[in-house]
Amino acid sequence: MVSRVSRLPFLFFLTGLASFAVFQAWSLADVSAWLAAFSEEPRYPSGWSRAHLFVLGWATMIAMGAVYQLVPVVLQNRQLFSRKLGYAQYAVFATGFAGLVAGFRAADVKTVGLFASVVFAGILLFAFNIGATLIAANAWNSVTAGCAAAVFHLVMAGAAGMLMGLNFAFEWWGAFHDRLLGAHLWFGAAGWFGFLITSFSYKLLPMFHLSHGHPETLQRFVAGFLLTGVWTGALSFLLNAPAWCHWIALSCTAAAFVLYAVHLAQIHRFRHKPMPGAGIRWSRHLAIGIATVTALLVPLSAAFPDAVLGTRMAVIIGWLYLWGWVGGTILAYLSKIIPFLWWTHKYGSRAGREKVPTMAEMIDDRKVNALLSAIVASLFVLVAGFGWNSPLLQTLGGTLLAAGSLFYAGLLAAVFAK
Amino acid sequence: MDRETVMELLKQVHDPELGVNVVDLGLIYELAVEGGRVRVRMTLTTPGCPLHEAIVGGVRRVLERHPGIEEVDVQVVWEPRWTPERLTPAGRERLGFF
Repeated sequence: MVSRVSRLPFLFFLTGLASFAVFQAWSLADVSAWLAAFSEEPRYPSGWSRAHLFVLGWATMIAMGAVYQLVPVVLQNRQLFSRKLGYAQYAVFATGFAGLVAGFRAADVKTVGLFASVVFAGILLFAFNIGATLIAANAWNSVTAGCAAAVFHLVMAGAAGMLMGLNFAFEWWGAFHDRLLGAHLWFGAAGWFGFLITSFSYKLLPMFHLSHGHPETLQRFVAGFLLTGVWTGALSFLLNAPAWCHWIALSCTAAAFVLYAVHLAQIHRFRHKPMPGAGIRWSRHLAIGIATVTALLVPLSAAFPDAVLGTRMAVIIGWLYLWGWVGGTILAYLSKIIPFLWWTHKYGSRAGREKVPTMAEMIDDRKVNALLSAIVASLFVLVAGFGWNSPLLQTLGGTLLAAGSLFYAGLLAAVFAK
Repeated sequence: MDRETVMELLKQVHDPELGVNVVDLGLIYELAVEGGRVRVRMTLTTPGCPLHEAIVGGVRRVLERHPGIEEVDVQVVWEPRWTPERLTPAGRERLGFF
């Protein structure tokens, strides 16, 4: 019997996993061709189509499901403002993203404009539902405030995306399109995913580590630097600001990620459970990784601004950030979230009546660790291929990344058979 | 029905993430047994625990299904806050606590 409470996030998680599998299968089918084209110029119809399949169909779909699951929990079992609205929002958003991916693939600008607007409508419904839930609860802390900030930036990213979609269809704004793209990326990649992952980690990591008594001051500094970085970055693009404004945006964002990694180390130091699971360990490693990458980019971009802002470097940074940190962290957390969801579904009401398995028995932690290691290693090979412009490394890394990801998706899907 | 029997019943309910039962986790703050009536005052390791329903429901169900228990009252409280010091030696060992 599937409980009503968890059916809504399930819908998002299953759709996200399906999109993830489609993305990887599509990559495997023509890996060398699309990666070579993407490394030279990421802005082409098939590239846009794949990027939105990955970011909207997978990452955002999973993230929305996580918000629907975690917000009522953080608010101590408070109900969502409207579960029915959640289902309607799912239908609108899923239709929008599928149409947008198809529109990009067919290079049909009218379809892109139409479905970019549908995606934005889906985002607005999501923001209204979550916003109303959070406001009614009026229980603000670093998790709920961070979630609200994330959803607000998703709305901003969606608005910029819709304007770009309409510009594709009607060519209203001409060269302003590129400025909108910059803002779209800052709001979506750094704002939506940045706030969501950092704030949810403040709940999830102490819970899985059984950490108690750790300091929480850094959480405010992370949010402050991230907010400053996102808005400085977005406004720098929108106002066509000089290069040093972009550098300040990057520096603030790097400071946020470095402080975030330090804070996760604090949580880890105060742990009472030594083995929280491979997914939780990897989420910390990936946080250290993105903190290191962004911190290195600060002096590099000051010394070689043209190289850092060039297409090749943008592709490398984009893959490391979106696939490496955002995608990797989502995959890592899914190794805990999917078993939890399924356990609650299948065994939650049986606890106390009969012997039920533990969460650790729902998924093989050694396989989680092995596959996440393989995925990260493959990503490094792929990025090295981009850096050295080596089709061999790109094909090798891209193939291993897609294959490893498909195996990982299979490992997660196997939980539903437990 | 005596207190020891009820405690043994409660040990059948585990936090499925931590793999430790609610007694050894130190989640049971107060247990009152009067004839067939059992009153439990308990907490969870964190407020806003995703397993709230499963664990608290498990405590209720394991008591309700015992033929010697007629009435069950489970109350969840957040004060005093749970701390790791409440773990029993068996809970610490199971968790690998350090």
